[in-house]
Amino acid sequence: MTRPSRTRQLPALALLAALAALPFALGHDPYLLNALITTGIVTIAAMSLNLLLGFTGQLSLGHIAFFGIGAYVSALTSLGFDVELFGGLRVVHEPWPPAVGFGLAVLATAACGYLVGRLSFRVRGAYFVIVTISFSEVVRLVALNWVELTQGPLALTGIPPLGLWLPGLGTTVLRTKLQNYYLVLAVGTLCYALIGRLVASRFGRAMRGLKENESLALSLGINATRTLTLAAVISAAMAGAAGSLYAHYLRIIDPDVFLFSTTVTMVIMVVGGGKGTLLGPVVGGLIFGLLPVALRPVMVPEAQWMVFGLVLIGIQFVMPRGIVPGLVRLVARRRPAAASSSPVPAEVRP
Amino acid sequence: MNEFLQHLLNTLILGGTYALLGIGLTLIFGIMNVVNFTHGALYTVGAYVMYLAVTALGLNFFAALPTAILGGLLLGAVLDLALLRPLRGADMDTTMLVMIGAGIVLQSGTLWLFGGVAKSIPTPFPDAPLQLGPVSVSWLRLFVLGAALVLIGLTYWLINRTRLGLAMRATFQDHDTAALMGVNVRLIYTATFAIGSSLAAAAGALLGPVYVVFPQMGGMAELKAFAIVILGGLGNVTGAAIGGFILALAEELGAGYISSGYRDAMGFLIIIAVLIFKPTGLFAKAERIG
Amino acid sequence: MTRSSLTRLPALTLALSLSAGFAQAQAIRIGVNEPLTGPFAASGTYVVNGAKIAADEINAKGGVLGRKLELVIEDNKSNPTEAAAVAEKLITSDKTPVLMGAWGSSLTLAVMPKLADYETAMLVETSSSGKITTSGNQFVFRISPPSALEAEAFAPLVEKIGLKKVDFLAINNDWGRGAAADFTKMLKGKGVSVGLMETMDQGAQDMSAQLSKLKGSDADTIMITAAVDQLTLLFKQMAALGLKKRVITTGGSQNPDQIIAQAGAAADGTMHLTTFLPWYPEKTPNPAATAYFIGEWKKRGFEFAGVTESFRGYDGIRAIAAAIEKGGAADAAAIRKGFWSVDFTGLNGPIRFAKAGPSGSESGQSKPDVYLVKIDAGKVVVPEL
Repeated sequence: MTRPSRTRQLPALALLAALAALPFALGHDPYLLNALITTGIVTIAAMSLNLLLGFTGQLSLGHIAFFGIGAYVSALTSLGFDVELFGGLRVVHEPWPPAVGFGLAVLATAACGYLVGRLSFRVRGAYFVIVTISFSEVVRLVALNWVELTQGPLALTGIPPLGLWLPGLGTTVLRTKLQNYYLVLAVGTLCYALIGRLVASRFGRAMRGLKENESLALSLGINATRTLTLAAVISAAMAGAAGSLYAHYLRIIDPDVFLFSTTVTMVIMVVGGGKGTLLGPVVGGLIFGLLPVALRPVMVPEAQWMVFGLVLIGIQFVMPRGIVPGLVRLVARRRPAAASSSPVPAEVRP
Repeated sequence: MNEFLQHLLNTLILGGTYALLGIGLTLIFGIMNVVNFTHGALYTVGAYVMYLAVTALGLNFFAALPTAILGGLLLGAVLDLALLRPLRGADMDTTMLVMIGAGIVLQSGTLWLFGGVAKSIPTPFPDAPLQLGPVSVSWLRLFVLGAALVLIGLTYWLINRTRLGLAMRATFQDHDTAALMGVNVRLIYTATFAIGSSLAAAAGALLGPVYVVFPQMGGMAELKAFAIVILGGLGNVTGAAIGGFILALAEELGAGYISSGYRDAMGFLIIIAVLIFKPTGLFAKAERIG
Repeated sequence: MTRSSLTRLPALTLALSLSAGFAQAQAIRIGVNEPLTGPFAASGTYVVNGAKIAADEINAKGGVLGRKLELVIEDNKSNPTEAAAVAEKLITSDKTPVLMGAWGSSLTLAVMPKLADYETAMLVETSSSGKITTSGNQFVFRISPPSALEAEAFAPLVEKIGLKKVDFLAINNDWGRGAAADFTKMLKGKGVSVGLMETMDQGAQDMSAQLSKLKGSDADTIMITAAVDQLTLLFKQMAALGLKKRVITTGGSQNPDQIIAQAGAAADGTMHLTTFLPWYPEKTPNPAATAYFIGEWKKRGFEFAGVTESFRGYDGIRAIAAAIEKGGAADAAAIRKGFWSVDFTGLNGPIRFAKAGPSGSESGQSKPDVYLVKIDAGKVVVPEL
């Protein structure tokens, strides 16, 4: 197992330090902090999407389903519910602490990821894309219509904020924006590190092998079903974690959390930042998450979306590999010696 | 019983436009191997062209319909020339992302131009319905069904009875061989995309007057078109035509007898069921796995 | 660090505009949180246009407390989560000390926790779910009638119209379900039997399936709760199905003129519970104000059809202005206190807030007039009963 060298982590560490200091630079402005927190949450989801889209090459366009399921599972666990299933079976659930909700959200979405992962091996290409979209739409319609459980379009309100238990300090309820900002940053960093380890492992090589040349990878003894399923499970669980953060931060969720446009936003973050790179979705996430904030004073939301659409088209023509690989190549061209001696293929370089 | 007959009649009416939507999408996929994510936006554009033609241009309702179809044809040709032709040979994911981007631009563009308030298209048909024994149907919906069937018939004639159709079928079977035989494959692609787009626009122009016209109307239409196409098998025109009616039936009976809220879910449940049990679609030959 | 300086830009401009504003008499900002896109776009836009008329009228007369009013209008996209985000943005970023919104009940309910968090009052102009004023939120002041109040106002007419059995068709949200529940309760109390309860999604376009079911039922009347766009579709589809039953709509958002314009003869014979009588200004509680408002509305080139929605935006801003005046200062706490002393005659009755909800943390509820109108040969009439 080759561990990425310290110097290669430098840009990521610098970014982390900058992000940690950002709230102070912004003077705790609540509006901007809010934008940063939601951007951070969607960026985590985009990082998880990258695992499928970038590293295994599966264009999953139903990723928002995992995010939304995570949000609903977590919210319902901490709010409690009382539903009657078919056949008069009544299920009553008393509210549990939000942290338990977070854990259940991760488990539930991992299970969903397992199903989608199995399915992804049955159907490929266009079929896979359409079935993932359908999956997220079905989940949205269930959330919309199972009013007894989800409140439907009435939205689940009054979701309690997450509490954090620290040794020696007891439990702190994370109510303020600043606390939530650092929570999102911490979870994001954890996911980043996890994906980094994963990609550098044997499993990561198997994923890339399948993506680049499936028949060759199979002949080398890579178990395709297992590899793709595992990637889907981890990816879904991370998206579920992001969804849980979202629910407990906003403290309200409605079925529109499943809208296709959020998946599109994630795809733009991944593809724009650089799919199949570690830092790509983070950079893409920050750019395309904060772009609406910057564009808001100068153009209406419709026009912002047009810009997003044009960016998505433009990237495919101008910079098909995304911003981060583009920058890496620029740097590499200046220092050809350093690049040629690199043992890691350009694809995985952050 | 009467309620059931009414549901069947509703199915027939709705199925016609669904079939139209599905045929356009499946044609483009079958021949070009492109999943057209602008299909819903083209449906919306068709409805808005219809609206503009009737209200702003003051055209006759029956003259406005061909105008909307022509609008879809032209927009489809432009989309192909500007976006798909330069990307020919790129992998399917790239074209899908570009098409998603184009769909967003078109949809947000309509929202920008026309605002979010729904518009309604005036029609020359009487309000009083046609009474057929215990069931009734509005003249407008009857016209929509008739027009949809005519357009489906025209598409069949075009594919099976014309030189263009012959070239399209040849390209569908093997585009390299078709190119060697002297078929201008690039032109066939543009023609296919334009025709597929015009069918989507036609569906929008037909359903626009039945319901109301608003910028997000294409989103659900597009997802339904996907369901129809999966049901019939990607690339299978007859499958899409039948798939349209099956989806309409499932929706109508689902809404009538299970729960109206799950009306739109029927399509997706069909997709998932078909892909689990018969991934090639109900009517596709085995070799057509995507 | 280009990114951080980029995102700081709006904050800086805001700070600059704030400090520049303090030099002269700075305008009092009112946050307006309405659906300008999505299924409720038409209604939200009307309300905003009504609000602008009120703000302009007040400003032309010298403003409030010697300062002008400035409306900060944001689109909540007909979505609850977005409505909550918009409220937060208006309060924290735009520093509005008072809000008006958020049209739909689900939207308003989503905003309410933010009002409590930031201790900022909101005037609720349209929403009719009972929950809004019974959940103990002290920052809510409502001028539209909750559906229970509407049902109560309708009760004396039940026998006069001759209702025997009623089916419901309602939009699947707080508004529709709440209205159906409140009317069901009232009707049962009057000995009227209640049959089917059908719902439809707020964005649904094809209701043929639900209507086919209602057609087959033995009820004589269908009570419908939906926004105007969906009502238009419903009436057209009912005509197409040959469904001829007595129809009564609730919720005060029906906009009969738009229905006549878009549904034509299909709307003939339908009855609507409404809270404003713009067709007969002389019969309204404040004829002079009604005439001025309708005149101004027409002068601005808006469709007459919109007044049944927009008058609430107009009255809402006037109520907020009165609250600022009574509170004596343009800060959130003073305005909230001011609301309790508001007392003037709006376009649909007196606007003064009575306490509603759990004692100790009451919301404010004003009691507007409710009218029953009927569409007869393309005209809106008040039926003789």
